[in-house]
Amino acid sequence: MKTVDIIRRAGRSLKHAKARTILTSLAIAVGAFTLTIALAAGEGARQYANTLLTSNIDPQVLAIAKDKSFFEGGKTGPQEYSADSSTIARGNGVLVKRLSQSDIDAIAKRSDIVSVTPTYAINAQYITRVGQKKYTVDATTYDSGVTQTVIAGSLPSLRTSIADDQIALPEAYVSLLGFNNAKDAIGQTVTIHLERTPNVTESQIQQAIAENSPQAIASLATKQTKDAEYKIVAIVGKSATALTATTNAQISNTSAKALSDFTTTGTDNYQQYTIATASVKAGVDPATVKQALVNEGYGVQTAKDLQSLLFTIVNTLQGIVIGFGILALITSVFGIINTQYISVLERTREIGLMKALGMRGRHVSRLFQFEAAWIGFLGGVIGSIVAVIAGLSLNPWITSTLSLGDGNVLLIFQPIPIILLIIVLMLIAMLAGYFPARKAAKLDPIEALRTE
Amino acid sequence: MIEVKGVTKTYGKKQNAFIALDDINFVIPDGASVAIVGKSGSGKSTLMHAMSGLDRPEKGQVVIDGIDILKLRQKAVDRFRSEKIGFIFQSFFVQANESSYDNVALPLEIGNLSGRARKKRVIEALQVVGIEEKEKQKARNLSGGQKQRLAIARAIVNRPKIIFADEPTGNLDSTTGATIEKLLFGLNKKSGSTLVIVTHDEDLAAKCDMRIYIKDGKIDQIVSEVK
Ligand SMILES: Nc1ncnc2c1ncn2[C@@H]1O[C@H](COP(=O)(O)OP(=O)(O)O)[C@@H](O)[C@H]1O
Ligand SMILES: [Mg+2]
Repeated sequence: MKTVDIIRRAGRSLKHAKARTILTSLAIAVGAFTLTIALAAGEGARQYANTLLTSNIDPQVLAIAKDKSFFEGGKTGPQEYSADSSTIARGNGVLVKRLSQSDIDAIAKRSDIVSVTPTYAINAQYITRVGQKKYTVDATTYDSGVTQTVIAGSLPSLRTSIADDQIALPEAYVSLLGFNNAKDAIGQTVTIHLERTPNVTESQIQQAIAENSPQAIASLATKQTKDAEYKIVAIVGKSATALTATTNAQISNTSAKALSDFTTTGTDNYQQYTIATASVKAGVDPATVKQALVNEGYGVQTAKDLQSLLFTIVNTLQGIVIGFGILALITSVFGIINTQYISVLERTREIGLMKALGMRGRHVSRLFQFEAAWIGFLGGVIGSIVAVIAGLSLNPWITSTLSLGDGNVLLIFQPIPIILLIIVLMLIAMLAGYFPARKAAKLDPIEALRTE
Repeated sequence: MIEVKGVTKTYGKKQNAFIALDDINFVIPDGASVAIVGKSGSGKSTLMHAMSGLDRPEKGQVVIDGIDILKLRQKAVDRFRSEKIGFIFQSFFVQANESSYDNVALPLEIGNLSGRARKKRVIEALQVVGIEEKEKQKARNLSGGQKQRLAIARAIVNRPKIIFADEPTGNLDSTTGATIEKLLFGLNKKSGSTLVIVTHDEDLAAKCDMRIYIKDGKIDQIVSEVK
């Protein structure tokens, strides 16, 4: 018997038992729905992560720490005490080692590195401008490896820093500092005020005592201050795909270092950095530079490492959802086995007749397996269509709820995975139909056709 | 020619053994109409199953056109039934949910005949039994007589050498039964196929060329009017 004829007969048998067919395939549809959503969400999340990374992170950038424990969350538990200021405690008793200025200089000297920027600790007191109130501010180094949303003014192209007398401010400061709008702020001067507690050496004290000058002693005890002035070069806004929070005032690397050095002079934090970013020369594979630095004992992550970390998270979440889908499928497999056994029992006479007419046992078996495959097909199609419709209509809502930004969607449905899914479901259904089908194939036609 | 030689069929084992067919021997010439006659439970159906390759009695031979079908492999026996045998049953055994057309097409599908030839043969067979206008109707909607006509169409569609009819009129009223009988004998004369009717009805048996009387699994008597 030809396969087409068997498939047609299988399809007709199912049509004659519509209710049963649909109920059985709905069980598969639940699994298909879950799996389609899981596949779409995984794809969407990966693409979104990719968008985030490519629009935010220069692929040539390396994140460098003193040793690899930084990227593993630092060392936990009690550690041997060391007076060495290069070790710093982070919250929860986690210890990380810090980079020193000589580390930074050594890395900067490498021929495959264009620039190294440590994250500076700048404890600015406030930002202000003439005739305005004072506001708290966090100043950070301008990241030339990240694209930012510019509201007014302009920023240099990627990998070029702003000038040392320039500052890029977040939108919030426009009205705070008394500008009518962002445009008015461009080119205006703002002041960042820094303070540090006096830091007195033994010889300075002795000298002041020797001079017997109360004025000199008082000056030793007064706070030292610094006012740094900058011209506003750009006002930056919030972007949906921006990883960095743009609530910081951004200044050039040199300026940031100057401010950091000022506030940390005389403290343990002076020229000690938890992490630095380095820009690898164009045309050089960041991975090879990473390896060289790792061999020297540094902890290094490339943009790719970050990507694979994000992907691992996405894949794990996707795996969990897929697990639920598979659970639903396992349940539906028993549904198919049950339905098909009942079908074989109900159609004993028909099976007997077909065998009496010379139909081969394996063709009878195939008839029932194709019926199961049809059920799988139907379930797969119902489940995935409902998933696609639901997903596409929910996408705008998800995008706005999670504020993914215009043009980004969480659920991305691709035809090939869905087709493969349906094929796999058909195969699973056929597998489930195997035992009932074998029972049908083994029926003795004489027994099946016996009339009481 | 069908030669049945020493066919013996036993059901059950040892103390429970029941001999349903006991050393059956006879020869049926090609094109004959034959009645296997006997009381209920005498072994008529069992004999028909053995002759048609549905069953395998443990002893004896059934030689059809020089081949002992009891010695064939399962695949060959299935092909033999599909190509050479037509079956008609007392309870029709039509596929109630399928159309008349698809009921009749089944043996051709099994025999791997497809396309236009299949369609032509199905329509022809429906015309022969006179229910061509029921082609698209589901078998469940046919009357008893029409169902048996449909079963006959299905039995003749693959142009078999031998048609086995097990109590073909047993479930029909006498008038309908008579038309079915006429149809069967007409086909037997026209197509030259051998017709084997299993029956306990003496009147029907009297219309056949040859009568094989069975009693308790043994041949009681053979009456032949074949020249
Ligand atoms: N599968 C079986 N197991 C045991 N006995 C059977 C079986 N099939 C038929 N028989 C017995 O064999 C005898 C002949 O049966 P059958 O050929 O159906 O009779 P008929 O068709 O003449 O009425 C009966 O006594 C019946 O009970
Ligand atoms: Mg019988």
